[in-house]
Amino acid sequence: MGTAAAPLPRIRAASHHRLRRTILDFLGWGMSAIAFLLLGGAMVWILAVVVMRGYHALSLTVITHVTEGYGGGLLNAIEGTLILAFGGLILSAPLGLAAGIYLAEFDRGRLAPVIRFLADVLVGVPSIVIGYFCYVTLVERLGWKFSVAAGSVALAIISLPYICRTSEMALRQVPRALREGAYALGARDSRVVLGICVPTALPGILTGVLLALAISVGETAPLIYTADWSNYLWTGHLTKEPIGYLTYAIWAFITEPFASAHALAYAAAFFVTLFVLLISIASRMVLVERPGWRRPWTR
Amino acid sequence: MNFRRLTALLASILGGILVVIVTFLAVYAWPAVRFNRLHFLTQNNWNLGNLYADPIMVRGQQVLPAAHYGILFLIAGTLLSTLVAIVLAVPIGVGAAVFLAEALPPVMRAWVSLFVELLAAIPSVVYGLWGYAVVIPFLGHHLFPWMVEHFGFIPFFGGHAGSGYGLLTCGLVLTLMIVPLITATVRDALVTQPAALREGAVALGASRFETLWSVLLPGVRRVLTGASILATGRALGETMAVLMISGNALNYLPNNIYSPISTMASFIVSQLDSALEDPTGMAVRSLAEVALVLCLISIAVNGIARVLLLYQDRQLTRAV
Amino acid sequence: MKIRLSTLAAIIGVACIIAAPVRLPAAGDVNLLETGSSLLYPLFNLWVPVYTRAHPNVKITPASTGSGTGISQSVAGLAQIGASDAYMSNALMKQHPDMLNIPLCISMQMVNYNLPGLNRIHLKLSGPVLSGIYQGKIRYWDDPAIRDLNSGLKLPHHVIIPIHRTDGSGDTFIFTQYLSFSDPNGWGNSVSYGTTVSWPPISGGLGAEGNPGMVTATQDNPYSVAYIGTSFEDQTDRLGLGLAELKNRAGGFLLPSAATAEAAAAQMIARTPKDERLSLIFSPGADSYPIINYEYALVKSDQPSSEMAAALREFFTWAMSSRGGSAPHFMRAVHFVPLPAPVVKLSAAQIAEIH
Repeated sequence: MGTAAAPLPRIRAASHHRLRRTILDFLGWGMSAIAFLLLGGAMVWILAVVVMRGYHALSLTVITHVTEGYGGGLLNAIEGTLILAFGGLILSAPLGLAAGIYLAEFDRGRLAPVIRFLADVLVGVPSIVIGYFCYVTLVERLGWKFSVAAGSVALAIISLPYICRTSEMALRQVPRALREGAYALGARDSRVVLGICVPTALPGILTGVLLALAISVGETAPLIYTADWSNYLWTGHLTKEPIGYLTYAIWAFITEPFASAHALAYAAAFFVTLFVLLISIASRMVLVERPGWRRPWTR
Repeated sequence: MNFRRLTALLASILGGILVVIVTFLAVYAWPAVRFNRLHFLTQNNWNLGNLYADPIMVRGQQVLPAAHYGILFLIAGTLLSTLVAIVLAVPIGVGAAVFLAEALPPVMRAWVSLFVELLAAIPSVVYGLWGYAVVIPFLGHHLFPWMVEHFGFIPFFGGHAGSGYGLLTCGLVLTLMIVPLITATVRDALVTQPAALREGAVALGASRFETLWSVLLPGVRRVLTGASILATGRALGETMAVLMISGNALNYLPNNIYSPISTMASFIVSQLDSALEDPTGMAVRSLAEVALVLCLISIAVNGIARVLLLYQDRQLTRAV
Repeated sequence: MKIRLSTLAAIIGVACIIAAPVRLPAAGDVNLLETGSSLLYPLFNLWVPVYTRAHPNVKITPASTGSGTGISQSVAGLAQIGASDAYMSNALMKQHPDMLNIPLCISMQMVNYNLPGLNRIHLKLSGPVLSGIYQGKIRYWDDPAIRDLNSGLKLPHHVIIPIHRTDGSGDTFIFTQYLSFSDPNGWGNSVSYGTTVSWPPISGGLGAEGNPGMVTATQDNPYSVAYIGTSFEDQTDRLGLGLAELKNRAGGFLLPSAATAEAAAAQMIARTPKDERLSLIFSPGADSYPIINYEYALVKSDQPSSEMAAALREFFTWAMSSRGGSAPHFMRAVHFVPLPAPVVKLSAAQIAEIH
């Protein structure tokens, strides 16, 4: 361990040293408590603003009507957010899981470390860069225009590395003996992985999927130039039809000088925050705490 | 194709996405790279040129008259806001991690940690909303004028207190967005430190805080470095929150910490539509060059962090 | 673990049910995306509910994104209607010869300010003074150049915060045209005009998104000055922002009003060419307000379907009609003026080209 080289505490018995030590201890713990209180306080402040202002803005209209100018409701945005998020998941979950399986189960050659590294770095690529990429390639070049398809692909690219890496970690927790037993019985790769490993690792895999869902619901930047916005409910076209989503309503309506627009922005923030926090807590409940498991919501 | 090969293929697609994005940006931005040359990174002048004049040829590229692209102010805004955030986030993050790992009884630890770490789950645009509607009026009308009055003698803390939109506001909000990453990683590392270390120090007569300060914290230094770099990468690419609270400075550098700024990521969102109006396409390609620069910085930062953390992970797996 | 998984399944299930009211497209439905000018947006906002109620098969989503977006997205075919306070440039027209610039009405622009204590008084400002402010040459409210125009006023010695639009904007276009035409050797020679210009850097100067952002930023920042479309006059009034009297070509100082806008339009409309791309800024005439402009709908003449083309033709014709979208109650609500009869004719000829 690297810690073996750490200097040992200088310990003296003299009483004035004891007093100094007590003061230093007190200061140290005090500072750390202050740091904690700063974070906790900020969290309470943000939640209070979102929940109280959001709660005041809630009404039946908000969830039963579509947006009309500066007012109306958010039904179109709620629907759009869910469609885009699930659209993204449909694309990213199978691909991410497959990549995770490869990294966890068949990690022998030189390819796996490279992919693992690329996936980890992809997590760090700003989402607006991915949005820009999708705008030029999908929206313009392929002529999909602003659409569910373009928005979902952007969200899928953003979610992929999370799903892949959490799936990999979950699969690595599956006891070796289970696999060996299955192989000994003559089962093939696909049977062992899909029939035994994946079901055993399902809670962990689900954590990644839920995380991806939370990220998709909370994203804005990559959707502005791929999904755009619409005041109406989706009519079922995958391309060439823009679609609304909640985060856009937050961003676009808070700067309008109308109380009704502000109300929509706060209501949207209320839904998005609530949804994202619930999913994050849910994923925490699914997760089996083990050492070495990186906390997935610290994206 | 057998199952193993299929998963390998799908995994390669995932890995390939990053390569495709970078290659695409490089190819797409190439005319801009040639037109803008190196002054792209060193000058403060983002100018689409005269949109209503006829295009001219410059250095083999069709551009609008007076078109000139220099993004030093974006690079400065991005790096400075990230610097403010990381300078604040490291001590706060470590302090909170220490509190969570050492001061709380284990029963409470999980849920209290979750509460604080959920700061990372709150979407960027909600931070932007909070910053825009609540924090900026407070900072602009109360805290910043007070700071100018009492700390104005410190370089960059004096001068015009501004309106609340700007560098320090961005730095503060970014701090909250990246701090959970540091807290969570350091807390995990502290909790998983071998009990023998702790016992040894206590046996030598060290108090709990001394044990922590001289024995446990040095042991997590590498994790802290890795997490901090990762957090840096996160702050560099933050878009929506910064867009809503930065003041969208154009073509000038901040002259104090209250001054409005723009960052590369937020600039792409706010300028793409304008850039698309340029009939020569040079504006869009220059914006692609901004995205390319941002992408390369993020890749470098994240690459370094991953290498560091990877090394730590290997150590951890060996130790456990 | 089993119970928790089923709870999750339930959450996801509920989410799916919420997503369920997806309607299948009815035949003959036309879905129009209108994007662009935040100056025209309040009017579209009033139009859409009225129009779509009478035409249930037409759906229109208006978006306030700025004229720059209106131009770029209509040209790219992403939006069916690009709304813009600025006509398209010659270079863009050459690239996209099938684009039409159809004026639907005439609007004005206000210059607003937030000077504590002085907002009830109409400050007098001129193009060259505004050009000095936005170039950073005039830094304080009590600058001699401003004092000279407003003799007798006690102006504060406070730094001016000029606010400009960050999005590609027709308001920026008409404002910078006013600066260019009234200060040809200063602004006209250096910055010139456009929907996006390279604003001279002024430390403390702010950028804002859309007219709504300009209103909010002016309100939030005492000692600021901004250019805001007249469709937001009710908001700026309600918030108590100052409204400047602007110097016109004849040398008079005027407030924006239907009368001063109509006077300015009367001087200019005879010059309107067939494609209707014309600046109405800084017109001659003693009673002419200096910043007025055509509000354009940018559309492709070639539409993908005949239903789409017919829907667009019908909507635009309705929008210009004095019994439809240009009825006095609509115009009054956003402080616009309807197109004069000769221009209506020109627009009608362009509308007929949509097929």
